[in-house]
Amino acid sequence: MGQVKSPVSRAAGGTPVALDIRGVSKHFGGTKALSEVSMRVRKGKVHALLGGNGSGKSTLIKVLAGVFPADSGTFSIATREYDSGQYSSSDAQASGLRFVHQDLGLFDDMSIEENFALDAGYPTGIGSKIRWKQLYNRVRDLLIAYEIDADPKTKIRSLRPSDRTMVAIARALQDQDADDLILVLDEPTSTLANHESSLLLEKVRRRADLGQTVILVSHRLQEVLSVAHDFTVFRDGEVAGTLIDAAPSEDELIELMAGRTIGALKPSGGVSHQASEEILRIHDLYSGPLKGINLAVNRGEIVGIAGLVGSGRSSLIKSIFGVLRPRQGSILFRGQPFEPSGVHQAMTAGVGLVPEDRGREAGFADLSVRDNLALGQLRENWVRGFMPRSRESSIARALIERFKVRVSGPEALFSSMSGGNQQKVILARWLQRSPTLLLLDEPTQGVDVMSRADIYAAIRVSVENGSAVIVASSDMSELHALCDRVVVVRNGQITDELDSSRIDIDLLNRLVLKDAS
Amino acid sequence: MTATKVAQDSSGSLRRRSNFSVVSILENYALVLLLALVFVFFTVNPQSSSTFPTLANLNVILGSQAVVSLVALAALFPIVAGYFDFSLGAIAATAQVASAGLMASAHAPLWVAVLVPIIGGGLIGVVNGALVSRLQMPPFVTTLGVAILLAGLIQWFTNGQSIVAGINPAIMQFGSSRLLGLPTVVFVVLAVAVAAWYFFTHTPYGRSLYAIGSNASSAKLVGIRVDRNVWTSFIISGVIAGGAGVMQLSRQGSATAGDGNSLLFAALAAVFLGATAIKPGFFNVVGTIVGAIFVSISVSGLTLSGASGWASPVFNGLALLVAVGLSTYLGRRKRRS
Repeated sequence: MGQVKSPVSRAAGGTPVALDIRGVSKHFGGTKALSEVSMRVRKGKVHALLGGNGSGKSTLIKVLAGVFPADSGTFSIATREYDSGQYSSSDAQASGLRFVHQDLGLFDDMSIEENFALDAGYPTGIGSKIRWKQLYNRVRDLLIAYEIDADPKTKIRSLRPSDRTMVAIARALQDQDADDLILVLDEPTSTLANHESSLLLEKVRRRADLGQTVILVSHRLQEVLSVAHDFTVFRDGEVAGTLIDAAPSEDELIELMAGRTIGALKPSGGVSHQASEEILRIHDLYSGPLKGINLAVNRGEIVGIAGLVGSGRSSLIKSIFGVLRPRQGSILFRGQPFEPSGVHQAMTAGVGLVPEDRGREAGFADLSVRDNLALGQLRENWVRGFMPRSRESSIARALIERFKVRVSGPEALFSSMSGGNQQKVILARWLQRSPTLLLLDEPTQGVDVMSRADIYAAIRVSVENGSAVIVASSDMSELHALCDRVVVVRNGQITDELDSSRIDIDLLNRLVLKDAS
Repeated sequence: MTATKVAQDSSGSLRRRSNFSVVSILENYALVLLLALVFVFFTVNPQSSSTFPTLANLNVILGSQAVVSLVALAALFPIVAGYFDFSLGAIAATAQVASAGLMASAHAPLWVAVLVPIIGGGLIGVVNGALVSRLQMPPFVTTLGVAILLAGLIQWFTNGQSIVAGINPAIMQFGSSRLLGLPTVVFVVLAVAVAAWYFFTHTPYGRSLYAIGSNASSAKLVGIRVDRNVWTSFIISGVIAGGAGVMQLSRQGSATAGDGNSLLFAALAAVFLGATAIKPGFFNVVGTIVGAIFVSISVSGLTLSGASGWASPVFNGLALLVAVGLSTYLGRRKRRS
């Protein structure tokens, strides 16, 4: 248990080193993205790279991939020595680094074997005829080795999410003896539900036990803790701490990442809101996969919806927001029957939604932060027939400050910000309307701990000011930290309800998974 | 601590502003600068210096760019929302033939011959919008189909002949009349342009079109009625294109049995050139007008320098390619920065 909390790493126990990075620095214009970073990855171990958005870990991954060269520093991979100036992406490939990114780059409508062949080439016979039998056998053996229970002819689309990631991993490692390769997993679990990511990480850990070297980048600390041997924590472009063969607590890691303790991630102590005004009452609702939902939410209350993808949690939220039209049942909003014919009516009534998929359903990537905020208030910003930019800018500046968005100004493009800051802008878009009911679908997916703390704090302020909040999440620690009450949705029905004294992460995970596949 | 932080911030924003003033002003006004250069070139070029910089020629340029500008403004509405209306040239041509036909064959009063084609343009827009937003048909092929259909109907109606006789002289007088020394049609374009500018920058509807063009799913989830607004953009577009057809009749005094494609291509060149200026990376009204004037001045200068009839389509094609290339590049760079 040799814990070394200094920027200089030392391989413990004489394990051979697969990757040794020494004094790597990188500037972008005037900003220092990496300064004198050193780290050592031991062969056959899982090494976690941690840090908030903008801490430098993504820059280091890109330097390793040869996307851009570092300004100074050297690294050795296996037995080869590289000077950072001359290192290119072909060197990364030749030295045995293999990257699997969050976007897996699989062809969903093609079979597993075709996905393998498109990467490594089809085995061919006389006259360039594809030898399908040979391909099939090779891929079948690989699938067995990587514990993927599927036939090579299966379409990627019909695989379970964790198996898709495993296919991408097996594909990346197919061309050589995997033990000589270093697998870099960049946010592999950020779009997976809890049980899917634990399945995936168990398999990754077993690969490591067999000798696979893995570098893992993830925001989900609990998962990282369950699988990693070594940790390198980044903060502001520097290595804030290195832990070799250690078992740190989540709080220790957060403190290293943030440079301070963060209280907002802890439960604030749930409160009963039985006595306050009833904002929402759903009675016997059938909509999409939902089969007879009953739910009431009071003013000042944060209600969590725990459920897997496909359980109906997103359908419930979309039915309240006027996106889905219920087949049967009734919704009362502040005591009045509520049947919004579309999103605009739900908005006018005082409902807001932060959708699950930030990039596809919430953000306007090529528009400015000012536009992204103002588009939530188009009618309200239209005063006496005009929408002056100066007023929008000053509103945007105030929101940027209030929600602690790290951005150069209102005219910066939405896409220029990190995920956490983008999510703060989306949240600010809705909270500027002081909604009576705020619906949040996976509010902190792919968001670093520091931004997550800011987002939780903003949500708590809004309920103190009289909003009611519904949070749908597959992250049980999120529901544990935020909610006064959690309902569990399974197969389109509410199966359990837990008040704050009974909310427990393990219990929630068990309830969500009960008789699921 | 706070004081130094504030000082840093203010110096940072100062640096950004000075950056802003040099590079981005140059970028915003590059097309205007190019326009001035082209103007100077044809003024000093010995082959065109006697005819190009005359008041009479400038009036011809302004008059002929008016119709192109109007079609370009029409095209702007669906394009901002990310949709493409290929039928606008054909709508203008149909309106021109319809207006001439109403006067020549039906002896309709002037107001009927002006209003009916404009309303007709709007109705074609209703059909386009319904097909694209309600039935979710791909906009490019759909409006191309409508364009071919309209061109066929023009051929059927005119038998391939131009309508020359029986045009109400009042409409021709309007087309050649002057106001404050400039062609009157220029003021019509100016009025439409100001209205369009107000629409795009100062109404929720216009802003929502930019949002739809950026991300339709996100637009829907901030309460924008995407289908309805896209549909409306096709209707507005059809009305303006119909007006452009009537204006073309007033300028030419006759209606040829054309398909309006040359008008559409010049207008598209103007729209895409416009996206490289004023608000680079975004389709915008002022840029579109500058683009239309640029195209007209260049074509006029080339013609007066002795270039043949092929010069104009070749120039429009090149301008369109360069403009699309530039605006794609600007958009991509914008997204990366």
